[in-house]
Amino acid sequence: MATRYVFLPYSAEFPATTLPELLHIQRRPVLAFDAAADEVCYWTCIAPQGMTAPLTAILTYMMASATAGNVMMDVAIEAVSDGDATDLDAGVSFATTNLSSATAVPATAGFIDQLSITLTNNDSIAAGDYVRIWVNRDANHASDTATGDLYLLSVELRDAA
Amino acid sequence: MAVLPEADRDELLAKMCRDFSKLRESTSLTKPDLRAAIDAADLWADTNSAAYNTALPQPARAELTAKQKAMLLMLVITRRWEVT
Repeated sequence: MATRYVFLPYSAEFPATTLPELLHIQRRPVLAFDAAADEVCYWTCIAPQGMTAPLTAILTYMMASATAGNVMMDVAIEAVSDGDATDLDAGVSFATTNLSSATAVPATAGFIDQLSITLTNNDSIAAGDYVRIWVNRDANHASDTATGDLYLLSVELRDAA
Repeated sequence: MAVLPEADRDELLAKMCRDFSKLRESTSLTKPDLRAAIDAADLWADTNSAAYNTALPQPARAELTAKQKAMLLMLVITRRWEVT
């Protein structure tokens, strides 16, 4: 696997509502995803040359307070190729989300964990595509049982190369 | 007064999760565990509301409204456990 992108909190893009809060924890920027309601943010990139599927998203996070329970995160891809009939000023075109398995949080709040999601649904991403990545905490999923915020530190995108 | 509706209890769960996060107070309780505790606390308050009212001396019992009696209890508990 090769790292293709690392997305950090400062470069996140946000919807008008239901967005994670950008905080600083010990001066580290984090995106705080609520425990009770789904919140989403995005990152934009251009798919690099030589990129090969399958893609994997590695989410590095820590918990604000929970020391038990699981979290559920999902990642979706919107990939627009040159010549696609996708009207970007009319709406969005994300593929089906890729949901993580129920991931047990670290036993100490503040310890990091890395959660891996295979992006099986990748909107047929190809080198050169204009790409957006959506990251969401599926807080109302029955298997998302950890209380308190999830602090997302980074999202690493790897390909199969 | 009956127990709180489900939606209100859901909101209390969300608020407690946010408060734990803001204070960064570690907890091993899961959301279902915390929700069960909220349900139990609400039921206890409902079951014992008459006993609390009886415990208040006159003329406070007659003169305070129900909301004022609730505020009184909240202030006392907040102060006893120094909850911010």
